[in-house]
Amino acid sequence: MPGALEGIRVVELAGGRSVAYCTKLLAGLGAAVVKVEPPAGDDCRRSGPFPGDVPNPEASGLFLHLNTGKHGVTLNIEQAAGRALLLELLAETDVLVEGFRPGVLDSLGLGYEALSERLPALVLVSITPFGQDGPYAHYAGGELIAHALSGYMSITGDPQREPLKPYSTQIEFQAGLQGALGAGVALAAREQDGHGDWVDVSAMEAATFLLGGPAQIAALTDEVRVRNGTRLIGLPPRYFYPSTLRPCRDGYVHAHTNIRHPDLMAALMEQPRLAEPDLLEAPAAHADEIDALMDEWLAWHDREEAVRLAQELRVPFTEVFRPDDVLADPHHAARGAFVELDHPVAGTLRQPGPAVRLSATPWRVTRAPLLGEHNAEVWGRWRTPAELARLRALGAI
Amino acid sequence: MAKPLAGIRVLDFTNAVAGPTATSILGDFGADVIKIEGPDTRHLNPPGAAPPKPGAPDEPWNRVIHFNDLNRGKRGVVLDLRRAEGRALFLELAKVSDAVVENFSPRVMANLGLGYPDLCRVRPDIILVSMPAFGKSGPYKDRISYGPGIDAMSGLSHLTGYEDGPPSKPGNFYCDQNAAQLAALSLLAAVRHRRRTGEGQYVECAMIEGELQIVAEALLDVQMNGRVQTRTGNRHPWQAPHGVYRCEGNRDEGIGNSGDEQRGGAGRGVLGRPQQAVSDDEWIAIGVETDAQFAALCHEMGRSELAADVRFADALSRHANQDALDAIITEWTSHENKHALQRRLQAAGVPAGAVLNVRELLEDEHVLARDAFQDVTYPDLMRPFPHTRVAFKLRGRHASRIDMPAPRFGGANRPVLGGLLGLSQEMLDALHTSGITAEAPVAAQGAGV
Repeated sequence: MPGALEGIRVVELAGGRSVAYCTKLLAGLGAAVVKVEPPAGDDCRRSGPFPGDVPNPEASGLFLHLNTGKHGVTLNIEQAAGRALLLELLAETDVLVEGFRPGVLDSLGLGYEALSERLPALVLVSITPFGQDGPYAHYAGGELIAHALSGYMSITGDPQREPLKPYSTQIEFQAGLQGALGAGVALAAREQDGHGDWVDVSAMEAATFLLGGPAQIAALTDEVRVRNGTRLIGLPPRYFYPSTLRPCRDGYVHAHTNIRHPDLMAALMEQPRLAEPDLLEAPAAHADEIDALMDEWLAWHDREEAVRLAQELRVPFTEVFRPDDVLADPHHAARGAFVELDHPVAGTLRQPGPAVRLSATPWRVTRAPLLGEHNAEVWGRWRTPAELARLRALGAI
Repeated sequence: MAKPLAGIRVLDFTNAVAGPTATSILGDFGADVIKIEGPDTRHLNPPGAAPPKPGAPDEPWNRVIHFNDLNRGKRGVVLDLRRAEGRALFLELAKVSDAVVENFSPRVMANLGLGYPDLCRVRPDIILVSMPAFGKSGPYKDRISYGPGIDAMSGLSHLTGYEDGPPSKPGNFYCDQNAAQLAALSLLAAVRHRRRTGEGQYVECAMIEGELQIVAEALLDVQMNGRVQTRTGNRHPWQAPHGVYRCEGNRDEGIGNSGDEQRGGAGRGVLGRPQQAVSDDEWIAIGVETDAQFAALCHEMGRSELAADVRFADALSRHANQDALDAIITEWTSHENKHALQRRLQAAGVPAGAVLNVRELLEDEHVLARDAFQDVTYPDLMRPFPHTRVAFKLRGRHASRIDMPAPRFGGANRPVLGGLLGLSQEMLDALHTSGITAEAPVAAQGAGV
């Protein structure tokens, strides 16, 4: 079956996580993606995990995940011969995705103005920590700094301790997702008038997009909500509770009340106090008391049991899973949420499958390319084997 | 110039966060989004209502901050889908829509007779985007959960937190906005496919599966090394220093702290909450990537000798000795203003940024210069509403202006049911009288969707 983006040709100028994730998503939807790596390889090849903890650019778990569904070539675009070859490829490209600092593409003669003059239908997606303009456009730093400035750290963590950023590089992933969405919007616009566009993605704004309400509350009411530990923030005293993470006998659960039927908590835990009027009138104001009552019950229940009993009553508790729990989850097995991919160097791995399932145009996942794996196939369309050998000798591919 | 998604009509039957966010993105770029609500789905006296403008009607349900934020730019129609007439009108609207988006638990749409086969009968090329928490199949298909509960099941909560602390929430939730963007992207891809082939389809956007994509490093580490990763606070796998450092406290700002409040305080403010002064929530993030940046940091601290100190001379040593390094840096930053320090360190090429709270964010010069929020005027509200925009701009088109505030309850009943479906004035009046539509929420107990 075809992909939903069948016929859309995407080129990624490799360099880091956000651009790789962006084009992984487009490839999943059926676009034909050529990943152009510098001869030394994408930086992601140097990030773990590695099998046996032995660094190997062909076996980086991060790289294998972020580059499913793509063709891979190498090219040194700092050399004129490399740029000439890139321009041949771009003449047959719909979307170019890059993550260089603002101005770098311009300095190579590949900025949006130069490209759009030659290729007016091209969509250029540029993903940077702070966007193409504004006072911080040329700031140093990435994930951590963008996180701090986005406001998201102020709402993550314990109020008595330092602000936190979430696991790994969530903002780079979110910036990649925003870039894929931006490409989708720009392609829709192109269908109206034939013109490409320059999609300017800011990772900092990708994090601001995640805030979910506190900024609006601050603007409209002067109340500045800050992080609230494991509890949902921004709930006035009369609002629902619990929505928090609590320890149970063998781990943790996410405890959440049924918002329409808050009295079900009392039935679940056989704690009449949880259904008394003063408590139900202002649950969030009784959060400490509710935690203590829940903890009594949770101390006697395993994670799976607590969640099962709660869900049977339509109280939306869930397990706090560890990564090994997630891999072993029968739900994911039943749905095929992981796909087994064979890789010549890394071996067979279960990798995340479809991010979204489209019934007529299924999501695509095939293993990530080796460094320069498709050089002959892709570059061979414009250069003879002898010319490619010369480019290789020059270090251009 | 037409907006990029002009001509695409989306029937939005979503609640909570993920679904409304997905359709608001489409609306920002010009899609005609028709928001369907039940007659009792907005609280009559909601706790999260913004203060009214003097003389505004006493309709707190039209001032709900979260609802308005996620539903800007949509047209609002109220339909009682528990009744056959309401469901018939929903199908009439589906017939003139390109896509339907819903995010109820899997049984709801089928039970209402509004599942994918039902929609296909009235519009064979319809695109239905469903956003269930766990998917429409598998052992958890009938489980219910909100965003933070899905963050827990993906592993993200386990992996987020202090090294010595419990699993933590990323912000308030992560998977809602994550799923929203994936749903919007898939919908655009499905629309493209239909333009080329005439074929509609069913798009299942299981929120948990969208989130598996962003914890893959930990999932592969289990397989490659048998290692179960856990929380490491703000630390980086190999760079150091990498964290947030306490700065000079600014005690004049009067910050309301929901944390203390939810631990039992009695509320009185606009949202039932007093303003409280939080001192000392002043931090700067510093993340050094190279030896040169570290030397520049040491120079700014007036401690140039540290760059040559064997404990800190290269990334490996700094990482091994980062507790000591963090203590030295904190001693210095504690007496500095975070904003001034950010400018000074960035001028020296050191990656640094103040940890902004949400009010500081709204006033930040970069945020203002980039228009990360767009102020929209609401007729009932004292102040403009700063809507969060997507994180990308189409620089050639300037295309993501939010043209309308969120809908008043039932505000577009007549324009949509009359204008779009051609119902007569008499029919509209009859729908209103019989309670199939409404312009004010009715108090109903628990029932329905």
